[in-house]
Amino acid sequence: MTAVVADPEAEQTPAPLLSRALPVVMRWVGTLAVALVVFSVLLLLKGASPVTAYTGIWESTFLRSRSLQEIVVQMTPLVLGALAVAVPARAGLTNVGGEGQIIMGGVGACGAFLFVGETAAPGLLLVAMLVSAMVAGAVWAGIAAAMRLVAGVNEAISTLLLNFVALDVLLFLIYQPWRESPVGQPATVELVDAAKLPFVAATRINVGIVLALVLAVVVYLALSRTRWGYKISVAGGNAEAARRAGLNVRLLVLSALMIGGALAGIAGMIQFAGVEYKLRPSFGYQLGYTSFLACWLARHQPFPILVAAFVFAALSVSGDSLQLDAGVPAASIHVLTAFILIAVLGFTASRRKAAA
Amino acid sequence: MSVHQSTVRALAVACAALVVAGCTSATEAGSSGDGEPGKDTTTVGFIMVGPKDDFGYNQAVYEGSQAVEAAFPDLEVLTAENVPEDDTAATTMQQMIDEGAELIFATSYGHLDAALSVAEENPDVVVVQQGNTITDDIPENSGTYFGTVYEPMYLAGIAAGTATESDKLGYVYAFPIPQTIANINAFERGAQSVNPDVETITVSTSSWCDPGKQQAAAESLLDEGVDVLTQHQDCTSTVIQAAEKSGAMTVGYHADASEIAPEGWLTGAVWDWGPVYTDIVQTVVDGDFVGSAYNDNFRVGYKTGTNPFVLAPYGPGVSEETITAIETAQEWLGTEEGSPFAGPVLDQDGEVRVEEGGVPTYADNDVMDYFVQGVIGNLAQ
Amino acid sequence: MSLVVDVLSGGVSGGTSIMYAGVGETVSERAGVINLGTEGSMLVGALGAYAAGVETGNPWIGVLAGATAGGALALVHGYLVVRRGASQFASGLSLLFLALGLTSLFGAPYVGQPVVGFDTWEVPLLSDLPVLGPVLFQHDPLLYLGYLVVPLVWVVLFKTRVGLLGRTAGERADSLTVHGYSVHAIRIGAVTAGGVLAGMGGAHLATAYANAWFENMVAGRGFIAVALVIFATWSPWRVLGGAYLFGCAIALGPALQARAFEINQFLLDAVPFVLTLAVLTILGKRTLSASPAELKRVFENAPPSG
Repeated sequence: MTAVVADPEAEQTPAPLLSRALPVVMRWVGTLAVALVVFSVLLLLKGASPVTAYTGIWESTFLRSRSLQEIVVQMTPLVLGALAVAVPARAGLTNVGGEGQIIMGGVGACGAFLFVGETAAPGLLLVAMLVSAMVAGAVWAGIAAAMRLVAGVNEAISTLLLNFVALDVLLFLIYQPWRESPVGQPATVELVDAAKLPFVAATRINVGIVLALVLAVVVYLALSRTRWGYKISVAGGNAEAARRAGLNVRLLVLSALMIGGALAGIAGMIQFAGVEYKLRPSFGYQLGYTSFLACWLARHQPFPILVAAFVFAALSVSGDSLQLDAGVPAASIHVLTAFILIAVLGFTASRRKAAA
Repeated sequence: MSVHQSTVRALAVACAALVVAGCTSATEAGSSGDGEPGKDTTTVGFIMVGPKDDFGYNQAVYEGSQAVEAAFPDLEVLTAENVPEDDTAATTMQQMIDEGAELIFATSYGHLDAALSVAEENPDVVVVQQGNTITDDIPENSGTYFGTVYEPMYLAGIAAGTATESDKLGYVYAFPIPQTIANINAFERGAQSVNPDVETITVSTSSWCDPGKQQAAAESLLDEGVDVLTQHQDCTSTVIQAAEKSGAMTVGYHADASEIAPEGWLTGAVWDWGPVYTDIVQTVVDGDFVGSAYNDNFRVGYKTGTNPFVLAPYGPGVSEETITAIETAQEWLGTEEGSPFAGPVLDQDGEVRVEEGGVPTYADNDVMDYFVQGVIGNLAQ
Repeated sequence: MSLVVDVLSGGVSGGTSIMYAGVGETVSERAGVINLGTEGSMLVGALGAYAAGVETGNPWIGVLAGATAGGALALVHGYLVVRRGASQFASGLSLLFLALGLTSLFGAPYVGQPVVGFDTWEVPLLSDLPVLGPVLFQHDPLLYLGYLVVPLVWVVLFKTRVGLLGRTAGERADSLTVHGYSVHAIRIGAVTAGGVLAGMGGAHLATAYANAWFENMVAGRGFIAVALVIFATWSPWRVLGGAYLFGCAIALGPALQARAFEINQFLLDAVPFVLTLAVLTILGKRTLSASPAELKRVFENAPPSG
């Protein structure tokens, strides 16, 4: 079965690569196929037809221009959120705090809007919101960095905990000081048109994707072509050796984590000013965790992150189709997401680590 | 097999889409409105904020959608559950439109923003919203509809005010939206009409359905000596069971739950959406939506005769006398001068909100933003 | 009843599900594996218990089913990280998504269905004590079982051979290999045991506390449990105290509202997390040195030994 599936892929692969790439491709396609088959069994158990489900997903998610646009809209914060994991990871740091940093990005952007929205010139307003979001995200990650540098607190723990504090900060703000009106559901006032991100051409896609793509390239270049990128990977590989080589490891840790936070902050700003236009209690829900997984799926590499983010966004959009066409709850799509992750995490990596 | 091939192709298309996304023209963007949005639609969509079998608000919506399906056998009825109250709702509605829906019911209070943006983008599609109020100009292809929930809650308040021994009633609610505020006030005023000393203590959970928070809220109210509990939550079983277990009485909401509270069940307000939904669908299919009562903030109550909210069966604790009192009050609510908020109405600070002899309209009650005297709790939070 | 008693009693009943999950996570982390999928184990535990309760009418069979479901999910995590070398954070989050999806797929028929749950059972004599009575002894049997779980886990961890092996797997895994033990088996066992306890926490939430099943009803309690273990520096006793503290913070909001105080719930909600961060900062390197050595390697992205 896998061989047939692999064929179209293989034909497109240049010949010299074929011998090297084929086993890898086979393994990936094989694991993905297993994920789809297991999900099919579950659908059958629920009395839904997998054929209906998959053709429904295929037609309504990939054959409709609007759905494709929606995927691009949804992948934007995931790309940035995943880059926010990838940069610290290069320095050997685990940033589980995307969730909180994205929220703080939205909060920062909203704060800037509420503060200067009336006075700033339109273009300047967006810049102010963007900068404020970056600062907010960077500061939020910076807290974790500072705790690590000053007190030796592990950043995986602190960024995870800071997610909950960020959520409470968001809820506090939208329930009281920033609330649109004391009656009604809690939300901030809607952004004025000048504070909304413009759309690309005649689509529903906000320009955030352009920024995300540019930043993916920038991150790639920064990590692979600059002295800083080299230094943080040395510090990430062996901090002791880096220190002996005269590198300022503390500064490198701080910069890697804060740049990560700033990237997540941008994700929050784009979600706020490009999609939601209001902060609501569910703002940014699960974007950070999904980004974290997207980054792992892409093995922390900037360009593969684009593909991983696309896949996750497509899965999320397919949830609607699953519900409308196959009659199973939309959240069931998480099962397929998880199977893909489990298959990839557990069965495409080299066995070296497991054997260690 | 084809499924797997599609997946591989999907990835390829996906990558291509990334590149061309910038150039994709909005081919599906609707043509300009033809003045008869939704006419002869073959498909109707319903989006719900919670699960369709929540024993509550969303189940009532789902049952209403089934009534539509029964009344219009040729119509395809799409339903989507657990649709959040943010921009995701717009995506789901758009998916329904892509599947052919030209009439969509966005049924949660917080779906209004998304409903209006979908209506704006699709002038040929009617999007009606349940329970909220459009305060700006109402677009040609949109509107809101609701019943006057607070009328049966007033009647239930009579049952609660008679039954309570501690003179303390408890109200678990989600958000201080005008609809909820009117319910709480009407409940208290119904109770006051038979028991002047009665108080209604309120606790908000900040969620339409979070059983953990509901339990904490119910426990706090019971600890305060409340002996009748009611609620404005989408899922209702947690609060009802908490009351029943501690020997307190229950006034239900959304659905008849006397089954899970055989001892303490008094009565409740229960939905029957079928007739309203069916009439909206008929109006839209006939091409008569524009300018109709539904192309507005449509409200229906005892005065107009077809309130989709009806009173649930009475429990063992309600006497014949009380039932008679409730029936008398219901007749009164249907008259010109009848209203849960017939003046004088004082707010928590003792300020007069409705003068002696004043009878507020349904529209007035839709923007209620204060608690009446006798309600314990803070609005500003 | 007084505010204090109300909040303490609410803290104990609301904190119990967190306590079960926290103690389970302690076992797992003591053996060197962090499990962000605890939230997922609680979710499948809640649904498993609820569904089995509905089908059989016996809440104890429900607990058994919830524990099994929670353990099974954790077993997958254990297999992935221990045998397949997957990232602990990524695997845990993946299993959370799996649990969200599975419970949504299979949970729908149980939404709004009445269950025969645990009733309040007042402990004779003890429940009449002032303050302590209502706070500790006017609850359900599954909550009382929680009182036994903490000492039991403590005894097993620190006074038995099994516990020693588990802790060694978390501290000096290579020494186990030398003595012919399978580090892999021990770790997977500990992770699974942790999932069993998290599943029981979910069971308490669904069939003893809220008496309902709803999609995503665990609502972050599993993540709180993971945070709590760090707050408690890997001690089951401090997990117990911490869980009730978190429970009280959650109960304080409605209790104050019912007394007409004006409050912002979210400042209260943030307190336990800010407190944890403050404690970590003050303890500083000492926290990390209190952590199992193998766990430290996980945090520092070093490959596991053994």
